[in-house]
Amino acid sequence: MEKKKKNKLTLERRNQLKGLVFVLPFIIGVLLFFLYPILFSLRISIASGIKVVGMKLSGWTFEQYKRAFVVDTSFLPEFKDTVIFTLTRFPLTIILSLIIAILLNKDIKGRGLFRVIFFIPFLLGSGEVMQQIVNQGVARAVLNVQDGRIIPYNVLMYFGNSVMNTVQGVFGSLVTILWGSGVQILLFLAGLQSISPSLYEAAKIDGATEWEIFWKVTIPMISPMMLLNIVYTLVDSFTSVDNKLLTYIRSYGFTNMEFSYAAAMSWLYFLFIALVVAIVFGIMKKYMHTNEIEEVRKRERKHRVFTIEKAPRRTFE
Amino acid sequence: MSASTESLQSKKRLEGLLSNLALRWRLFKRKYSTYSGLKQLFIRIVMYLLVIGLAFVFIYPFLYMIVNSVMSNADLNSRSVNWLPTEFKFENYSLALDLLNGKKFAINSAKVTIIATIGHVIACSFIGYGFARYNFPGKKILFALVILAFIVPTQTLIIPSYLTYSNISFNGKNCLDSYIPLLVPSFFGFGLRGALYIFLFRQFYLTVPKSLEEAARIDGCGFMKTYWKIVFPLAKATLVVAIVLSVVWHWNDSYEPSIYVKSTAKSFLPPRLKEIIAVANALPDAQEERMRQLGLEGGEDTLNDAVVMAGATVISAPILLFFAFAQSQFMQGIERSGITGE
Repeated sequence: MEKKKKNKLTLERRNQLKGLVFVLPFIIGVLLFFLYPILFSLRISIASGIKVVGMKLSGWTFEQYKRAFVVDTSFLPEFKDTVIFTLTRFPLTIILSLIIAILLNKDIKGRGLFRVIFFIPFLLGSGEVMQQIVNQGVARAVLNVQDGRIIPYNVLMYFGNSVMNTVQGVFGSLVTILWGSGVQILLFLAGLQSISPSLYEAAKIDGATEWEIFWKVTIPMISPMMLLNIVYTLVDSFTSVDNKLLTYIRSYGFTNMEFSYAAAMSWLYFLFIALVVAIVFGIMKKYMHTNEIEEVRKRERKHRVFTIEKAPRRTFE
Repeated sequence: MSASTESLQSKKRLEGLLSNLALRWRLFKRKYSTYSGLKQLFIRIVMYLLVIGLAFVFIYPFLYMIVNSVMSNADLNSRSVNWLPTEFKFENYSLALDLLNGKKFAINSAKVTIIATIGHVIACSFIGYGFARYNFPGKKILFALVILAFIVPTQTLIIPSYLTYSNISFNGKNCLDSYIPLLVPSFFGFGLRGALYIFLFRQFYLTVPKSLEEAARIDGCGFMKTYWKIVFPLAKATLVVAIVLSVVWHWNDSYEPSIYVKSTAKSFLPPRLKEIIAVANALPDAQEERMRQLGLEGGEDTLNDAVVMAGATVISAPILLFFAFAQSQFMQGIERSGITGE
């Protein structure tokens, strides 16, 4: 009897060890390429003296953080600009890419071709090539309302120049948003594909309209993907190359060689991103559809009824 | 005789085709003659218009790049020429190639892209499997670290990393003069968005039925062998997705290389576009000077935005070709990868 128990324990232990073997590269990586630099960066940001050669840090000071808020007059405005830029863009990115993914998931002819086309801006990348294309004013030229081709000149005259410029600007940024949503479309497409058709069938048999099906089947089923997508979009936008604040930080870090101040600023920025993502997680967790068992449990917790037996979670072995 | 049989056959085929068409037309009429049918037709038409319109927006930069790359100066400046150049000026390409001087840089780019992608795929699938299948102490914390690693911008880590690498040497060479800072992290599931791939693979492995591995174990297969021989080959769809994403991101990345890779001899292809832009935007005198340095004869209308676009085409061509090959697999992968984001 005792022997049996011991055996079981070792089996569990062995499985734990196997798991650790698989995750070992990540543990090493996390220590070397993540925790070490991030703590080092924290240390740099509060060091009062720094020597690049030999990496000697000395002293403690919060001067750099104070500088960001009190002394530096351009940090906070840049910060605000970046945040507003991201927070206005990401809902649009999510909504537009969801719409496109739904369209691409419909039974249309040439679907494969369309999917490839919608991925092309991603291939050209957010790097030099796309930057150059945007610099040549192409984003504004795609949906050009000012040249009188879509809307005749007479009508344009009626609205006046400033209105047209604003409209053109909105269209231009809409186009850049669309170009930047390739990955989001793909993720949504994957999410839509993973919804079981039987759910739709059941909904149809119960007499649900398309609209109801969209809100009560598609959206809940895709909500986990929505979370992933929102996090991805936020992070992508906060860390993109043409980000104003990051260029600003970089100018301090690598052009002016003020490592401490740059590290302090990037820490503030990182804390802000973490906060935003945490808020998103918090909000989404409430409304997110997980798996069936979890859903029922949620309902149980809410209404204090017990419908299924509480079984321990199944794991390997 | 045979000719008449043939004509008879073709006539029959034609008749068959016509009757088929007629049948289709009748079906079409029946389907769309009612009110709800008409509504459906309307919805379909709107859907197609929407998709085609959006597709136009998405393909625009690509078309613009290709078309403008073969334009002459006159075409660029003329208002009437939008899409079809009056003459195809392929000299733009030879000029762009000369300016890029890109063979060496292309090889550098390809080398780093391929090695880093291999690292990502192997390491991340391995780690993802561990997260999907096993329970061990600290699993939750480690997975939270995966998400955190995804959220933390590279820019926060780059200053301490830069300082650290600048103080490490290998074989007498400074780390910053090699590709170590770019390549090594990818073999540990880090590097350019490594955490995302860990997440993708974990997501896939969660959908693999456990009975498969159980059967393998009963047959006496060790856990490593089970992983390499049974589970890993199943992940082909996710593998293709990860490879495509990793290749595209690495090829287009310019942030980390611009900081870690100091010497020009080791730099990459995409940043070379700046070289062309710099020459194209320079004053005429400086432009001619630069052209003479390169041993090219400067003309009046040789260097313009068309050459820049030709350079952009050259730079993005490998990625576009690669995607053309991987495309069908990739799309299947997206459909089958079982990514649900849970």
